[in-house]
Amino acid sequence: MNVLFVCVFLVSSAAVLIAEPADFLPALLSGAENALTLGVTLAAVYTVWLGFLKIAEDAGLTRFLARGLRPLTSRLFRTRGERELGYIAVNLSANMLGMGGAATPAGISAMNLLDAAENRDYAQAMLFVVNCVSVQLLPTTVISLREKYGSSSSYDVILPVLLSSALALVVGALLVRLILGRKR
Amino acid sequence: MIAAYILPAVFMAVILFASVRKVRVYDSFAEGIKGALPLVFSLFPYIAAIMILSSLFEASGLSAALERALAPAFSFLGIPPEISSLVLIKPFSGSGSAALLSEIFAEYGADSYIARCASVVYASGETVFYVSAVYFAGLKRKTPAAPVVIALVANFLSVLFGCFICRVL
Repeated sequence: MNVLFVCVFLVSSAAVLIAEPADFLPALLSGAENALTLGVTLAAVYTVWLGFLKIAEDAGLTRFLARGLRPLTSRLFRTRGERELGYIAVNLSANMLGMGGAATPAGISAMNLLDAAENRDYAQAMLFVVNCVSVQLLPTTVISLREKYGSSSSYDVILPVLLSSALALVVGALLVRLILGRKR
Repeated sequence: MIAAYILPAVFMAVILFASVRKVRVYDSFAEGIKGALPLVFSLFPYIAAIMILSSLFEASGLSAALERALAPAFSFLGIPPEISSLVLIKPFSGSGSAALLSEIFAEYGADSYIARCASVVYASGETVFYVSAVYFAGLKRKTPAAPVVIALVANFLSVLFGCFICRVL
């Protein structure tokens, strides 16, 4: 990540210098501004979702969800920890239902707990990759945007989106298993 | 749209269930919220670094140059050249790729082949670098390269496959 940051930063800066040097600082500032705006949005989103998740947890729903998904998750992530699997179950179900605000805090909690696991490199990589392939069942953003632009069949992208997400999921999980799964 | 009903239904069901199980719902809600601001504060430095970088990358016009350089390779692989900038921006910037998606819809019509491909690219992938910042931020060691590369490869394959399905369906 550090290498990538330096490379992209230097190459982009060089390109800005050649094209329009005055754009350099405004570009950095607008990125920071976007980050602040996003931070405020995230604070609101996490306030709602963390409160809600705590209710679900105290009602025993997370444990219930974790138990239901355990046959799948314990194999995929190769971990037995009750709490990790609970957060992973919440993360996966929230992702599928398109509740990104609930998925991220649960995913981060799972990442932190997995840090103590012996096969943490594998389990953390798997959780990250699964979160990168977007396993949402209904691509709501795209559908509503298509409707806004006058699509007559806004739902006809669902199947291609699901199929290619599924392909990405399978490829991603296989690669994690092949590359990081052997060292046990 | 049915999706709009799912969320309120889930919230109501959970709160109802919790109160049946004698959970002190108000206290639980407040207790959970305690974690929200610390979470944002711990993520913010990494989010900011990634967003500053992606803003610089977009301003540099490199994506346009890359697009020109990669267009032949992309069209050879079955990716329409009109969406190559979306494919390139997607891993870096969620807001940038959403803006590009709107532009594509406006320019080519929301039902065109190009718009369908763009929808698949947008919806079947994630902003990998942003997610990596968020997910690996709290950990003590540095972000490992392998998962990021794997996620990029998986997303790129899903782009290829998605464009292919849009052509045959």
